[in-house]
Amino acid sequence: MKITTRFALLSLIIPTMVVAQKNIDPTPEDVVLAKKIRTTYDKDDVAILESTENVTFDLNKTESKVIVNHSINEKLMNINHRAAIQKYEFYDSESKIETFNLKYRNDKSVGSYVVDEFYKDNDLFYNDARVKHMVVNFPVQGYIYNYELEKKYEDVKYFTSLYFNDEFPVLKKQIVVTVPEWLNAELKEFNFDGAKITKSQTKDSKNNTIYTYTINDVPALYKEEESPGRSYLYPHILVIAKSYKIKGKDVALFGSTADLYKWYKSLVDLMKDDTSVLKSKVTELTASAKTDEEKIKNIYYWVQDNIRYIAFEDGIAGFKPDESNHVFEKRYGDCKGMANLIKQMLKLAGFDARLTWIGTKHIAYDYKTPSLAVDNHMICTLFHKGKKYFLDGTEKFNSFGEYAERIQNKEVMIEDGDKFIIDKVPTASHESNKEIFKANLSIENEKLQGTCSKSYLGESRAQFLYIYSTFKNDKKNETLDNYLSKSEKNTLVTNIKTSDLKNRDAKLTIDYNVNVANKVSSFDNEMYVDLEYMNEFKGFELKDRKTDYQFDFKKNYESTVSLAIPAGYSVTKIPTDLVVKEGNFDIALTFQKTDKEIIYKKSFIFKNGEIKASEMTKWNDFIKNLIANYNQQITFTKQ
Amino acid sequence: MKKLFLYLFLIISSASFAQDKAEIKEFFWGKSDKYKTATTIPEKWKNESAVIIYKYEYYNYHKFGASVTYTSAIRKRIKLQDQAAVTEFSEFSYKDKFYSNKGMRSLGRGTNVVGIKIVKSTGKEIDVDIEKNAKEVDKEKKIAIANLEIGDIIDFYYYSVEPFKSIYEFGFEPEESPLGDVYPTMDMKLAFDTENDFFVNFNTYNGAPELIEIPTKNSGERKYELNAKDIEKNEFPRWFLPLAELPCYKFQVFFARSGKFEKRADAFLSNSEKVIKKTVSKEDIFNYYDEKFRPDGSLSVINDFLKGKTFASDEEKIREVYYYTRHMFFTQFIEAFIISDATKFYALSVYSNPIFFRTEESFVNYFMEFLKKNNYDYDIIIATPKYNGSIDDLLIQKNVNVLLRVNTKTPMYLEYFSPYTSADQFNYNLENSKAYALQVAKGKKVVDAVNVNLPGSTMQDNVSKINSLVSISDDFSGLKVKKESSYFGHLKENEQSDKFYYFDYAFEDYAKYGTKSVIEYVKNKKDKERYGKEIDAVVNKLKEQQKEAFKKATAEEYDFEIDDHKFTIKSTGRFGKKSPLIYEEDFAIKNNLIKKAGENYLIEIGKLITSQVEIDKKEKERKNNVYMVYPRSFENEITLDIPAGYTVAGLDKLNKKVENETGGFVSSATVSGNKLTIKAVKYYKNYYEPNSNWNKMIQFLDAAYQFTQEKVLLKKN
Repeated sequence: MKITTRFALLSLIIPTMVVAQKNIDPTPEDVVLAKKIRTTYDKDDVAILESTENVTFDLNKTESKVIVNHSINEKLMNINHRAAIQKYEFYDSESKIETFNLKYRNDKSVGSYVVDEFYKDNDLFYNDARVKHMVVNFPVQGYIYNYELEKKYEDVKYFTSLYFNDEFPVLKKQIVVTVPEWLNAELKEFNFDGAKITKSQTKDSKNNTIYTYTINDVPALYKEEESPGRSYLYPHILVIAKSYKIKGKDVALFGSTADLYKWYKSLVDLMKDDTSVLKSKVTELTASAKTDEEKIKNIYYWVQDNIRYIAFEDGIAGFKPDESNHVFEKRYGDCKGMANLIKQMLKLAGFDARLTWIGTKHIAYDYKTPSLAVDNHMICTLFHKGKKYFLDGTEKFNSFGEYAERIQNKEVMIEDGDKFIIDKVPTASHESNKEIFKANLSIENEKLQGTCSKSYLGESRAQFLYIYSTFKNDKKNETLDNYLSKSEKNTLVTNIKTSDLKNRDAKLTIDYNVNVANKVSSFDNEMYVDLEYMNEFKGFELKDRKTDYQFDFKKNYESTVSLAIPAGYSVTKIPTDLVVKEGNFDIALTFQKTDKEIIYKKSFIFKNGEIKASEMTKWNDFIKNLIANYNQQITFTKQ
Repeated sequence: MKKLFLYLFLIISSASFAQDKAEIKEFFWGKSDKYKTATTIPEKWKNESAVIIYKYEYYNYHKFGASVTYTSAIRKRIKLQDQAAVTEFSEFSYKDKFYSNKGMRSLGRGTNVVGIKIVKSTGKEIDVDIEKNAKEVDKEKKIAIANLEIGDIIDFYYYSVEPFKSIYEFGFEPEESPLGDVYPTMDMKLAFDTENDFFVNFNTYNGAPELIEIPTKNSGERKYELNAKDIEKNEFPRWFLPLAELPCYKFQVFFARSGKFEKRADAFLSNSEKVIKKTVSKEDIFNYYDEKFRPDGSLSVINDFLKGKTFASDEEKIREVYYYTRHMFFTQFIEAFIISDATKFYALSVYSNPIFFRTEESFVNYFMEFLKKNNYDYDIIIATPKYNGSIDDLLIQKNVNVLLRVNTKTPMYLEYFSPYTSADQFNYNLENSKAYALQVAKGKKVVDAVNVNLPGSTMQDNVSKINSLVSISDDFSGLKVKKESSYFGHLKENEQSDKFYYFDYAFEDYAKYGTKSVIEYVKNKKDKERYGKEIDAVVNKLKEQQKEAFKKATAEEYDFEIDDHKFTIKSTGRFGKKSPLIYEEDFAIKNNLIKKAGENYLIEIGKLITSQVEIDKKEKERKNNVYMVYPRSFENEITLDIPAGYTVAGLDKLNKKVENETGGFVSSATVSGNKLTIKAVKYYKNYYEPNSNWNKMIQFLDAAYQFTQEKVLLKKN
């Protein structure tokens, strides 16, 4: 809190009579309770004492749609000194918020100022999602508010899931879903194992089935980055409305995957592609290509390089691809638009290419569940010489035939006329992303100097090429220099030579000379050398981490540094080796002495591209050992 | 009939808007556009991200009585040469309608008109249909630019018309900018259209071309242009003041309908709006300020304060009155402001007649009253911070800072308050600068303006003294540090404003001057209990933030993580440059700075003086002069407990001495018993160095950096 900013606010303060509200201050018992809860949830400022969600269904007969009424009632308590939080709720063209209200503990309305605006997302240029939000101020410990929300979905297909966890810890949570007799709905449970959820099922007088789920002491949602998607992490229920009955007849909703496909297909059929505008570009890209593969690559790479990712998620546009001619002419589109453009261009070039729905790695489900929650992405599948190739237009510098980690091993739904094909994107091994560092060093005037080389494959290459492409031309050299020297004044990098930094198929290589100061220290007859100047993973402790850590891709990094033994010296001490092999990380640091040199090898392999939450203690122990290892010196003694 | 009328009106207004749009388009891209076909860029800029082929800034000031129409516009024609540039220009957002925040009230709504076209490398022009493609998001229009590729030229304009009403005089926001832009610029034009009642201050500096007047047919209208070519992109290095060195321009326009308003205007106006005001002379200063300040206010609180007190000197008395005033009219109310803002309790209401000095002017007037009544001779100092350039180049009134100079034996310079201002030092941005002294006769009337040079502080004034006691953990896994930091002179100011919260000084002042905190004013028992809890909650929350921020700041100084951090503020240092800010810290450094070498250990002891400026390859090539804050010195003493069974080797590398006319770095290391003591001092002699001295600065900066890289060996006996 800076004085200057405070003063800027002063003009906004209008002196008002402070009307003392009765019975809104916390009771001594509340304060005791707040303190007690805080001992359990010491990172949270606010706790939800009770939260009840009610879900009911109505039928809109004229539009043949099942309506969902979703209400939430919460009792919020401040458990820290004071707190200011935002309560917010999203809605869009398929849903509306009917009540969004906050009350004091005496049930009088607070009259909070509610902002209702578009939800802005950096990844979405325009979308129809809106948000209502209000600031909730808790002046003292133990302060309580009652929050109520009523939200309505006009079409059950957009109401997909119910979660028990919240932004704040919940002491008592209840979800009640009332399914009327005329509705055939499945409540599919996920991640219930280990969660102490009690469940009951009863019938009321109108023959509605009432499902009640109760759970106590639910911790707040994890605020950790690089975590798996929430559908992996938290217990939840997917609401699958399969069909409803009217006048004795069954009307299908999403009863099966075929129903889901049918709806998707109906949207695809709305497109009116005018592929004539693509023709000359396709001809240009394929005319001089000698092989089919070259033709495919030319088209696929052209889309990657020339179509900017700009997404409009506006009502049905969130599900219906944009016409290929529009995407082509605008030179921008979202995943669906890009997938469709690749498809149409490949078709013009004589290939069999099809739209393909997929849920990325972020989503836990597969196509056994017919729900809009199952997928979030679209790619294009090429059928070529008996094989399927998956082309993702939103990737940058993706080599044909390689797949990004986020789609590997995920189920796809490929269009096939009125039918569909379910398949899986192949998985690649960590070897395909291999990154290698080599250095040949000697000691000159108390400095390490020599030649280095780096090479990258697969996703490590794609990532490098993409990041490099985003730098300004006039800053590219400087940035590369800083990258190689790790922006350290001690490390001087010269004579950089790289492979073609636009080529996404060949191995990426960088060769350069290096001169590193302050890593050699001489004392009397001894010389100490710190060969560790790259410090890979040194700061990678994952303190208090509760969720899996997921890398962007499966990692395989190998480093070999050889240091010539200086003339007139013998090696008296080399650091100890460090070797760790766990389920998800396989790491070895070894030192080898020959007559002429010391060879320091490091290998870091994360074969699944992740460190499991269950491995965190082992990982953090390893990091401590790694730092201790990095802190070891090589000792040379004058002969 | 009514409906029909409304309908017609709508048609007419939308038709005229469409016509406006066509006119605006013609204005930028019409027949007279000299840059319509400009597509080539010079060879030397081929490797730039983008090149501005033409930049045109346009301003029009028009009035009808008290109704003003202010038009501001910009056009840029830019060649995009890489993906970064394409991404930068691939999305635009703007508000097509807005409410004016100028003058008394709005005359309807302001409008913004945007035009965008793309020129493909084939020469084909694509006019972007904004109306058709824009999406509206919370009253803002967003547009994604279609078909934009590397090698294209994007040519866009933004034209804003803002009508408002100003019964009184009105000053537009001043513009002060180097000619350069983010990208290099081939050609630029800045043009003004004004008419009677609009007074323009405009000048260019540091070699920028002059503003020229373009003849007009109507004697009430005036046109001016600044044309420049071949401008490199802006790059601002470390220790640099762009307006003091780069070709730049400054301007401000003032609307004043009559002599009465001209007189009242907060600006150095030209005698006639027909003449552009380019410089501000001593006479202008005199004329503007001769009646601006007047001794004012009741001195009864000061008289009460002084009652029964004696002082060793005039200086001491004035100093004490300054600090007392700082409390009574400033820090006394800050707690109330913060409480009012953070809670529902309007805490200012506890004071019967709070007088809070919100402005420099209220401070100057009040202190003048004190000086006058006590027969102290004083002048009013008119100065400008160094980042604005010299006072000789003063053009804009807002760039002036006012000080009071009391002509005691050693003159005292007094400035408007912050909670940390001192009576014996003033804003370092004004130090060593030329200024004007408005001489005040008999404490009443300004009689003359004379040139003066403001004094500067020295590296002996601005000192930090850090003592660190360091011990090594038994298992050699880390270090424990007990550190005392003392800051003097200007070096205190940043520390104070970064680390202090209101409770760190407000309660100190309540105790010193016998005033009361907010809660002590609340009489009702219930209210007292309730507000007391709320205030405690505010303080507790802020203390948590302070603890985090303090730890973070210390870790950043070292450039590595620290743990188990505790701090105590021992002295706030708020009463003069010689009263130091002192705080103590205890913390641990884990898994760092200790390297194992067989049975011996290397200690990276140099890093304990905290991270030092790193001058890299690029910075060594610096072409600009060096503009720093003030002369300063940093003294460090580090005492390391040598663990039993070990001896220290390698002290020689810790003895460094580089000293020259710009500054120095001197360090030494000695062992006495089981203590290794390292002393290091780095100092900057000046606040400014010409570029020719840059290499000399690098010598001692590099020495200090090299010191941080030095290690000692703990050798097992």
